Amino acid sequence: MKPAKEIRVGNIIMVDAKPFIVLRSDVNGSSRTGFTYKWKMKNLLTNAPLENVFRGDDKFDVVVLDKKPVTYSYFADPLYVFMDEEYNQYEIEEENMGEAINYLKDGMECEAVFYDGKAISVELPITIARQVIYTEPAVKGNTSGNVLKEAKLENAIESKQFTIQVPLFVNQDDVIEIDTRTNEYKKVVRN
Amino acid sequence: MSFPSTLTLFCRVVDNFGDIGICWRLARQLQAEHGIAVTLWVDDLSSFRRICPEVDVQAPLQQLRGVTVRHWTSMEGEFAPEETGDVAIEFFAVDLPPGYVEAMARRAPRPVWLNLEGLTAEEWVEGCHTLPSMHPRLPLTKYFFFPGFTPKTGGLLREAGLLEARERFQSDPAAQRRFLAQLGLGDADCAARKISLFCYPHAPVAPLFEAWAAGSEPVCCLVPEGVAADAVQRFLGGEAKAGAARTQGKLTVHVLPFLPQDDYDRLLWACDLNFVRGEDSFVRAQWALRPFVWHIYPQDENLHHKKLRAFLGRYAQGLDALADFSLCWNGAQAGEMDKLWPALQAETPTIAEKAGEWAQKVLEIGDLATNLVTFVRSHR
Repeated sequence: MKPAKEIRVGNIIMVDAKPFIVLRSDVNGSSRTGFTYKWKMKNLLTNAPLENVFRGDDKFDVVVLDKKPVTYSYFADPLYVFMDEEYNQYEIEEENMGEAINYLKDGMECEAVFYDGKAISVELPITIARQVIYTEPAVKGNTSGNVLKEAKLENAIESKQFTIQVPLFVNQDDVIEIDTRTNEYKKVVRN
Repeated sequence: MSFPSTLTLFCRVVDNFGDIGICWRLARQLQAEHGIAVTLWVDDLSSFRRICPEVDVQAPLQQLRGVTVRHWTSMEGEFAPEETGDVAIEFFAVDLPPGYVEAMARRAPRPVWLNLEGLTAEEWVEGCHTLPSMHPRLPLTKYFFFPGFTPKTGGLLREAGLLEARERFQSDPAAQRRFLAQLGLGDADCAARKISLFCYPHAPVAPLFEAWAAGSEPVCCLVPEGVAADAVQRFLGGEAKAGAARTQGKLTVHVLPFLPQDDYDRLLWACDLNFVRGEDSFVRAQWALRPFVWHIYPQDENLHHKKLRAFLGRYAQGLDALADFSLCWNGAQAGEMDKLWPALQAETPTIAEKAGEWAQKVLEIGDLATNLVTFVRSHR
């Protein structure tokens, strides 16, 4: 059993003996007992969407599903197509992609998650490197990292381009490391 | 018999009087105005007794003003389905006894289960108010119910007749004088700016006392026994027991006994300015239509500052002195009381004027108990 506060987008949880994929999680401050987690979920048996809210310490069974390394191939609206080592193709619905969409890149390696033989989502590595395709010019002398600005990241699909907050010294075209659990900047890996 | 006819409310006392204060008001209102048989489970009868002197702290089960009160001493125990009510409310996300939850799952029809959350002016509550929360194992659904300040929330606690009672009291100077005289105030105290003070121990009370003492007008500060104990004791130069009083400069401090809820309402109505804390007195101060300063319950990661700013964003638009004073009072912004107080003092007529407009706006949402019953009926 895992508490709600440890469950990530893309996880499959059992609710009332039915498997649900967590598609989106909004966390907000709540009562003294902790945070409130508002989840957009989908019933994997019926595809019915559901919006629920939980306390951070509500516990769920997380379903351990089969996973397989795959690489991103192409977008066949509204399906994202991935390929394994044996050139088998797997289609994943856009709404099941969760935040992986933000980091999608041609040839990107990730893990496809399977439920009942069907690929239902992808999981990203915790740390990922992406190039900054646009940000305001760097500010000289700013090295403390405590002031932030927006940076747009490279993405396979232009309409899905994504911005994160980065320190002022980050330049356009820099390659930066990001924590995909929190979408937070970690460091510059190549100038 | 109309639905719901029975309701169980679970309360754990964390914030001394606020939790039980809210639950007790809600329980009484549901019983008196909606005809529901309410059982209130509470873990701390001593705190309860401070606001309701009839409470027998030794009794595991008692009837108080039509409400069944049970002392909640354990999470153990087995319950029969028929022991659960039509409605179960966990207040402030308290865990219910597992045996009670199992019994709810076996009951037919199943109870409507609510998590009555804390009050906040933050916008996100509108998106979570009344959302379901499916139980991971049992065929039960809980609903999150948020009090609040907008039509997309559950509103605020307000008994029928409260505003009329306030209006009667505030338009009757003789009744106010009689009430204040019972608290030990003389004519000079009644003529001064009367301020009630209720806050958590970390509030900057000492510099505020200095600002009041050195100010331009007489201030009569009424503080319940045990509140701001260090600063009050220093000011008095002796024990801060109920009945103690002392004047220094323009400031007179009176220590009051802890008042039952109805008398506390009258105190808020009789004062020119109220310092309130937590949630219960904060809501009552809004219905008093008098200027007030809120000391918010402190939370980890300064979450309470966010909540305070959200409230000020709604309530204190154009009331800069109130916003600055409130932020400083809560440690969310630096400031000096000898500057903040005169600014707040000057702004109080405008705050008082706006208090009526604010109350009218919140009134239109309907009261929390009625909104809650309406929601429960729609989820039978």
